[in-house]
Amino acid sequence: MRRRCVISRDEISRGVISFGVISLGLPLLAACSKDDAVPPRPKVGASGGTASAARAARRAYDGAPPVIPHGPFGASCTSCHGQWSLEVEGMGPSPPSPHGEGAGSMAYSRCEQCHVHRETEQLFAPSLFRGLTQDFRRGKRQHPLAPPVIPHQDLLRENCAACHTGPQARREIVCTHPERVRCGQCHVSVAENTEFMR
Amino acid sequence: MNRRDFIRKLGTAAAGVAAFSCTDRDEATRVVPPSGGVSHFDLKWGKAPCRYCGTGCGVEVGVRDGKIAAVRGDPASPVNRGLLCVKGYHLPGLLYGGDRLLHPMRREAGGKGFSKISWDDALDLVAGRFAEALQNHGPEAVAVYGSGQWTVFDGYAALKWVKAGLRSNNLEANARICMASAVSGFMTQFQSDEPMGCYEDLDVADDFVLWGNNMAEMHPVLFSRILEHKRRNRGVRIIDIATRRTPTTEYADTYVEIRPGTDLALANGILFLLLRDGKIDQAFIDENVCFKRGIEDAKTIGYGCYGDQADRYLFEDAPRDASLDEVRAQLEEYAPKKVSEITGVSPSHIEALAEVYGNLVRGTVSLWCMGVNQHTRGTWMNNLINDIHLITGKIARPGNNPLSLTGQPSACGTVREVGTLSNRLPADMVVTNEEHRAKAEKIWKVPTGTIPAKPGPHTVDMFRALARGDIKVIWIQVTNPWVSLPNLSRIARKPGGPFVIVSDIYPTPTTDAADLILPSAAWVEREGIFGNTERRTQHWEKMVDPPGEAREDALQIIQVAQRMGMGSLFPPPEGDWHKSLYEEYRSFTLGTGKDLASYDELLGTRGMVWPVVGGKQTRYRYAAGHDPYVKKAKGVHFYKAKGYGEKAAFWFRPYHAPAEVPDAEFPFWLSTGRVLEHWHTGSMTRRVKELHQAVPAAYVEVNRVDAQELGLQSGDLVRVESRRGGIELPAKVDGRGKTPRGSLFVPFFDEKKLVNLATLDAMDSISKEPDFKKCAVRIRKV
Repeated sequence: MRRRCVISRDEISRGVISFGVISLGLPLLAACSKDDAVPPRPKVGASGGTASAARAARRAYDGAPPVIPHGPFGASCTSCHGQWSLEVEGMGPSPPSPHGEGAGSMAYSRCEQCHVHRETEQLFAPSLFRGLTQDFRRGKRQHPLAPPVIPHQDLLRENCAACHTGPQARREIVCTHPERVRCGQCHVSVAENTEFMR
Repeated sequence: MNRRDFIRKLGTAAAGVAAFSCTDRDEATRVVPPSGGVSHFDLKWGKAPCRYCGTGCGVEVGVRDGKIAAVRGDPASPVNRGLLCVKGYHLPGLLYGGDRLLHPMRREAGGKGFSKISWDDALDLVAGRFAEALQNHGPEAVAVYGSGQWTVFDGYAALKWVKAGLRSNNLEANARICMASAVSGFMTQFQSDEPMGCYEDLDVADDFVLWGNNMAEMHPVLFSRILEHKRRNRGVRIIDIATRRTPTTEYADTYVEIRPGTDLALANGILFLLLRDGKIDQAFIDENVCFKRGIEDAKTIGYGCYGDQADRYLFEDAPRDASLDEVRAQLEEYAPKKVSEITGVSPSHIEALAEVYGNLVRGTVSLWCMGVNQHTRGTWMNNLINDIHLITGKIARPGNNPLSLTGQPSACGTVREVGTLSNRLPADMVVTNEEHRAKAEKIWKVPTGTIPAKPGPHTVDMFRALARGDIKVIWIQVTNPWVSLPNLSRIARKPGGPFVIVSDIYPTPTTDAADLILPSAAWVEREGIFGNTERRTQHWEKMVDPPGEAREDALQIIQVAQRMGMGSLFPPPEGDWHKSLYEEYRSFTLGTGKDLASYDELLGTRGMVWPVVGGKQTRYRYAAGHDPYVKKAKGVHFYKAKGYGEKAAFWFRPYHAPAEVPDAEFPFWLSTGRVLEHWHTGSMTRRVKELHQAVPAAYVEVNRVDAQELGLQSGDLVRVESRRGGIELPAKVDGRGKTPRGSLFVPFFDEKKLVNLATLDAMDSISKEPDFKKCAVRIRKV
């Protein structure tokens, strides 16, 4: 399940890395042209907090698509965020795309439809919005040896390996058995928080 | 407590113990900061359509402690199947800007500043101003200007109050500047508004022809649907006809670059080739199509902005019967060589487009939005696209349809279906038709002759009349005209002029121009119904309380009507009035082919696509086997077109040049539009941190070669100005959009960089929709 590959940012920006790409994510990334200002220095992991805090800082609420925490490189998003993680020199591992391709799903090929850059840290007006915070509780187990149920919604998170395996996975949720690839065989989603009653 | 309740409570308690067992809590505390603890299951979830564009994506809204804490795409919605765009995912933020309008505010004496007043005083003031204007100046001196963001409740309340209460037709909505050309296109050809197809076309067509339509940014979820279809089915093609490269172009199989304002020539060129090569469906034409022509002289028609037309644009077309042979002769003018000279499109591309439409085995869907509608001949361009589908028989069949896209969440459901325009009544009826007025007066239980037969002014003329002082009082709801209208300096607010009331949720340049500001409830802070592009009517419940004293727009109108002695028009607002108001409106639609679902039917569904008869939706209008009003065993029946013998009308529409073209003094084209992250004038999306920070300010896209000649680099401050006005903003070279040489593009969301100071108030001759896409400007480095 794990594949590590170290590449440099220069290689990315030269566009020499090309994996089997679902489709292009070029338009916004390509905004970094020679005439443009130097892209902001990537801020991956630069929040100074834990990985969980950095994760939360990129989301309006738990479940929201994260904003892109680095500047544009002039390459496809899927060069680094494909099926596997890559270790990017000076930045650390890149998270793979968590979006699966289940029946009825749409192509998640236009990354910028949901993920946007930050061009400024300023606000137009102050916001009073307080979003749902991350749920740090573990999935419930029926007994100590039972597989835990999945404690979060799985829509758009169909690729379990993206977050639970590989060098980018947060320590506390690393899967102990990545060789077992069909996660749903043992771990089930919770559709609602009620119990069966006749 | 009975046995079942006891067991349920016991089970709940046990589950709670398990969820917060010491072991789990300790482990969580050890590995991560204990700042979390609330899961998605702790939220109360409700369904609603998205607040933004006309796609009508289904959203699940999570509420905690009376506030929205999260949203997620609704997997059960047939529109978006669980996926949203970045605006949709950040919907909660639109309600929680720190500068929400919380109380009614009246402009202080002397003109500057506002002071808080009570709702009673505010409503008395509105009622008093309207009554005074009616009494002293008549029904043409009052006006209401609403929105495609009005819910059906809001729009219907406004329609009834203005047309039956005030006895005025001075009711308009911003869909006039957005979708009116699509309306007049459908009305002139099918005598009924709105598309015959639905979103399922996007899953089955072979070819998608995008006419000036940047779907990847403006209708991203629908574009994803096409991309998914394309990924699964090799051979599906996207053809992007556009005046600039956009993110949509990156996914197109063919990019057809066209000079601004020449699409009429291209469409006629396609028609010429289809007829020349016999790639038409003659049997379909014989059975279902008639031919029409109208006034075709450019000078007679004009553009609505020069000479006498600069005050009032009153042109009306004069239809006459024509024939296929007559049309064929007229189209001889549009051979590929000549069309290529006009449009800049190569003859091979023109031939290729005709091949796409002329291949009667492959399904073809045409898609368009503002590029076609905001056009000085927008109705004509709508007609020509529909013509292509009519002449090839590629219409009212799965995967074969013209599908105009809408920009606002209820441009269809409210403005087009309820009829909140100066000439319209519900369900395709118009005030100029005596029978239609009589039907409305009967349903509304008002005396015969209540509704005036003369239409009021269209939007641009309404604001021209306001600037002249002919309109004495105007109430603006859910829209921001002092950012969104063209040639803004013409309608600049002058002190001491007409009395302006604005209902909105945030301060905007329009509230800056107001004499009275009323705070409105937004989206899920009130109950609502929207109708989307594919004729889907969607209901949502109120989920959270509005902040401060904010109230829903329909309630504001009903309470003013009460104060003016017109309260009998509406159910008592103290009770549960939504259902009865909607059911009264729905009665207009029953039996007309535009039958809406009942209130109760809407409650339990992710919307229903009209006509809804016997509880069944209609995916394809006019199509046998789909539309219950079609009695034929197969084929189509354009049963709404009574005036055309129940056939659809093919219109010959010639090419006319735009109202203004670049010259030596103003050598660049200027086009305006939107970006993915912001919705229209940005009054909501700019309050959302993630969206504002992604695109914090407007810019002007400049072609790379032009930039080199002008000595410009990205980020340089430039001045873009037309004969009417100009703005300063940063240049962007080869951004997400790439303009061809001689063309500039500016998004219009930024109230501090008002590109509409430069745009021209030229209009479509029939729909009176302004053309924001084409005017002449110059650019220089500041």
